[in-house]
Order: sequence, then structure tokens, then C-alpha cells
Amino acid sequence: MADPTLLETGASEPPASPTASAGSPLRSKSPTQIALERLRKDKVAIICAIIVLAFILIAIFANVITAITHTDPGQSNQQLIDDYGFPTVNPSAEHPFGIEPRLGRDLFARWVHGARPSLIVAISASVISTALGTAMGLLAGFLGGRVDRAISWLIDLLLSLPLILVVIAIAPVVQTWFNTNNETVSMVRLWTLVVIFAFFGWTGLGRLIRAEVLSLREREFIQAARAIGVPTRQILFRELLPNLTGQIIIFLSLAIPSYITAEAGLSYLGVGLTEPTPSWGLTINAALNYYETYPIYFWQPALGILVLVLALNLLGDSIRDAFDPKTRR
Amino acid sequence: MFGYVIRRVAAGLSVVLVVMVISFFLFFIGPAKPEYAICGDRNCTPSRLADIRASLSLDKPVSEQFTEYFSGIFTGREIHSGGFVKECDVPCLGWSFIRNEPVTKLIVERLPVTISVALGAMVIFTTLGVTIGALAAIHRGSIWDRALVSSSLILTSFPYYLVALLAAIYLTIQFEVFPRSGYHPLTDNPWEWFKGLLLPWAVLGAVYATAYARYTRAAMVEALSEDFVRTARAKGLSPRRVHFRHALRAGLTSVVTILGLDLAGLLAGTIFTERIFEVQGLGLLALNAFDNGDLPVIMGSVMYASFLLVGLNIVIDIVYSFLDPRVRLG
Repeated sequence: MADPTLLETGASEPPASPTASAGSPLRSKSPTQIALERLRKDKVAIICAIIVLAFILIAIFANVITAITHTDPGQSNQQLIDDYGFPTVNPSAEHPFGIEPRLGRDLFARWVHGARPSLIVAISASVISTALGTAMGLLAGFLGGRVDRAISWLIDLLLSLPLILVVIAIAPVVQTWFNTNNETVSMVRLWTLVVIFAFFGWTGLGRLIRAEVLSLREREFIQAARAIGVPTRQILFRELLPNLTGQIIIFLSLAIPSYITAEAGLSYLGVGLTEPTPSWGLTINAALNYYETYPIYFWQPALGILVLVLALNLLGDSIRDAFDPKTRR
Repeated sequence: MFGYVIRRVAAGLSVVLVVMVISFFLFFIGPAKPEYAICGDRNCTPSRLADIRASLSLDKPVSEQFTEYFSGIFTGREIHSGGFVKECDVPCLGWSFIRNEPVTKLIVERLPVTISVALGAMVIFTTLGVTIGALAAIHRGSIWDRALVSSSLILTSFPYYLVALLAAIYLTIQFEVFPRSGYHPLTDNPWEWFKGLLLPWAVLGAVYATAYARYTRAAMVEALSEDFVRTARAKGLSPRRVHFRHALRAGLTSVVTILGLDLAGLLAGTIFTERIFEVQGLGLLALNAFDNGDLPVIMGSVMYASFLLVGLNIVIDIVYSFLDPRVRLG
């Protein structure tokens, strides 16, 4: 397969270990395989990957976890709340993170279920925006001319609108299209966020891919493919795309933490998710009134966001280093 | 050069125009029913609804409504509400029925607040970030350099609003390290103005400074390996002169570009900072408008922000061509 970076395989690898050279000394590796090998040796990356995996498992099995611990994110325990709205019980085996002031809902269950909207929004939005960015970049770079100008203009347009303001402007309008049942509003808000993040988030990748394609398209292997009459679609997907895998994976891995941050931040501002969906950002907003008397209320969603975003970001940076042939380890 | 500027301005204007059309249609033609949003749930009598409809010109055809709104931006217009005629001066971005004031006036009132926050933070993060970044690049590979690179990686991974919230909670309320934040006009009392904005500046400045230290370090490391630096060294200039007059100056051109974009973003509204530190700026204006369903204010904020971002982008490109003699605008 036409892949210029293959030539660098030998140079970027440390002297081959005896076991590797004994088997098949000239086995070729794709850049993705090389990157995966480097990642496997990166301790920080492994630890971060385990943390991220743990969060994903928590989100997937949220129902199982709350069933085992006999907690329920929606059930309010008014009998455990005093007249001033403060919980009368301390965190215990029954309520591991304590209970919410005023409504008395179990905080552990809300924390576990709060991982869900964060990851759903972040993963779906980043997958869509990555696909969109790749497609737009490929089209603009490869077709050039009018298509390129139109896409570049669209990127300029999208970049001239700050994301928070867009959410503030669009969320109330979209909401009026649906009925005003609380659950529906919350779901509508969630998918509105996904659509807005996806539609406004692809511009960075689009520009990057466009620039890469502009330089790749003049390379010999593309010229050769054209000369022997390979159809355009095949040139795009079989020749160009494999050379862009690194950039695409890097973008995807760094987009996820940024969307988690954005979702929780918008929910904290009151323009993101709404009750009754359990969301870390919403909990932070509610907990601010109690930070002095009840710090665990504020700290558990804050730590959830902090640890997850930090792990994802460090993992993304490791992935970037692994794909970059210039980094030395 | 001249042709380039003209083309950029034309492209920029087309972007602003489209933003305007989209937001106009989203709010006034879409199914959002602005008259209900403006009227609110309480005491919404049919006559009041009709009054709002008439004042928004919702009873007229779409094209006429749009022309009225569009021409209002350049010539100003009169708004009829509740039997009164209100003067909306140029540039008229609409009328906030909830606050009963022109949107332009609301934005202009809040502008000094956001400018104070943005410029103060900018002074901190540029001086701090550029100094640290330049020193790290000069002492590349030392313990300090590596500590800076890894710590800035971790710091920039934290969500900004959590850092700001923790600072607000633990640095002003629990332990009174910083004075309580809030905005007092500079012309009223400069000391109060300074005291109230100290913590927002410090937090915004610290978070941005780590990023700027990284940009400056990368740009300067690159500049230090270039031929003109070797020439400067070879002709016997002092290391200080080589580092700061030659390498740093060349490295800063790319930093200036990022600075322009960040400044535009900050001036468009520092929503988290304003919300957390209780500073009544443009960001909070938009956020409150969201809570109240004050559509004209949201629309005005969007228009202002996109105009600012587009305008500053053009200015940056032109400034960049002067800073970096290799860039030729054609």
C-alpha cells in the first residue's frame, strides 16, 4: 500500500530486540501499529486508559451498580432531611456519598448515573465532529476550487460564533418545538448539545485535514494512482485516508475531554442539561450553596470531572506523542 | 496588500451578515413565538400579546420585518410599545422588552466591565507567560524547563471553571487571601475597581499564562535554532541581546496571533469568570437573558460577538504581515 511513512519504520524504532528480529526481521508495520506499540510502553498512558475504562464501565453498568448498592438516583428520602433541608445522616454503607440536601436523593447513585450523560454527549459529539471534519477536510483539500472556498467560508462562519453563546441562543428555540414535560426537555437538551458540539467542533480538524490533503495530493503515490485511473472515491479512502489516521485519532482523543468539560460547564451555568437527568455539572451548581456545611456534595462531582478529564487529556497527549515520529523517548 | 484587505473585509462582512440573517430567522420567524417568551407566563392578556406583536412588527410580512431590523442597525428606528414610542438609536440591535431598554445600550453599559476583566488578565498572562516561556526555552532541558512543561500540561487539562470555582470558594470566602470580587467602575474608585477584579485577573491570568508559556517556549526554541541567531552569536553579541532582541522578538510573532484570537474570545464575554466572581459583564448579560427568555438581548450578544471576532481576526492578519516580513499578502 502506498504509504510514505513506512520508510521511517526502521529509523524511529530502537535497535530491534532479539526476539523480534528472530521471527521475521523485515515485517512491515503501519504507523498505527507503531503508535500502538509505543503507547503500550507508556506507563502514564496505560494508567490513564485504565481510569477512563473504569469510568466507561461505571456509565454502562450504572443500573447494575445502583441495584447492588440498593440506591436510586430519583427516589427522594424526605425522612432523612431535617426542617432546614439538611441531611440528618452521614455518609454510610447505605448512602456511600451521603444524600442530597432538600430532596434527599442518594448522591452516590446520582454520581454513578451522572457519568452517563457526560460520556454520551462527549463520545457521540466527538465521533460525529471527527467524521464531519474528516469529510469536509478531504472534500475541500481534494476537490479544491469552489468547494474549497465554500467550506473555508463555512469554517470562518462557525469560528465567528462563541460556543456558549450559540448554546444560549439555540437551546431555548429548540426547546419550544417539543412539549414541556421535564424528561423530554432534558433529553432534548442533551441531544441539542450533541448536535451543537458536533456541528461547531469539526472546524479545527477540517482545516488540518485540508492542509494535509493539499500537500499529499501532489505526492507521487497519489499522482501514480491517478495516472493508472484509480477512481476518486478509492483515492480518497484507500490512498489518502490511511495517511491521515494519526491526525484523526489525535483529534478524537482530545475532543472527548473537551466536550465533557463543555457539557459539565454548560450544565453548571444552567444552559446545558436540566433536572431530572443526573449530571455532574448540575450537581456542582446545586452544591455551591452548601460548600461550607457539606463539602462532599460539591467535591464528588468536581472530582469526577477532574479525574476523568485529566486522564483523557493525558491519554490524548500520549497518543499524540505516540503518533509523532519526531518525539524521542 | 490593499486588495487583500478589501477581500478580507468583504468576506468578514458576508460572515456577519449571514450570522445576522440566521439569528433573525431563528428568533423571529422560527416557531419560538417571541411574543410569548417576552410576555412571560404571568398576566399575558391577549391585548398585551397583540401589543408585543405589533411592536416587534410580527404582524407585517417577513421581508418587511427583516428590512426594518436591518435598516435599524444603520439608521436607528422607533419602537412602539404600550402606546409609547421609543427611540432606538444607531446601531439599533433591537429592544429588550423585559428590561425595557435598547439592546445596544445594555451592551455598551456592560462593555467596560468585560474590557476591564479581559485586559487586566491579558496583562498578567502575557508578561508572566512570555517571561516564563522565554526563560524555559533558554534553559532548555533543565529541571525547571521540564517541570514547566509537565505542570502546564496538567494545569491546562483542568476545566477552567473548576479552577475558578475552587479559587472563589477557598481564596475569598473560606480563607480571606483575596478581597471579595465584584465590579466597581474605574472612574468611581480606582482602588475598589482594582481590589474587586484582583482574583478574576489572577485566576484567568494564571490559567492562560501556562498556555502562553508553552507557546512562547515552543516558538523561541524554534527561533534559537535558526540561522539569524547563529549569525548574531557569531558577531559577538551578548547572550542577553541574542536571546531577547533577536530570538524572542522573532518567536513572539506567532504568539501575537494567538493573543489576538484569545483577546477576541475574552472580549466576547467571559461567561464563567463573570458568573463565578459575580462580575456583571457581557457574559452575564447573555446568561441572564437566557434565564429570562430575553431573545433580543441574546440576539444582540451573538451579533456583537461575531462582529468582534471577525473584525479582530482581520486586524490580526494585517498586523501579522507587518510583524513577520516573510509574510506577503497577495
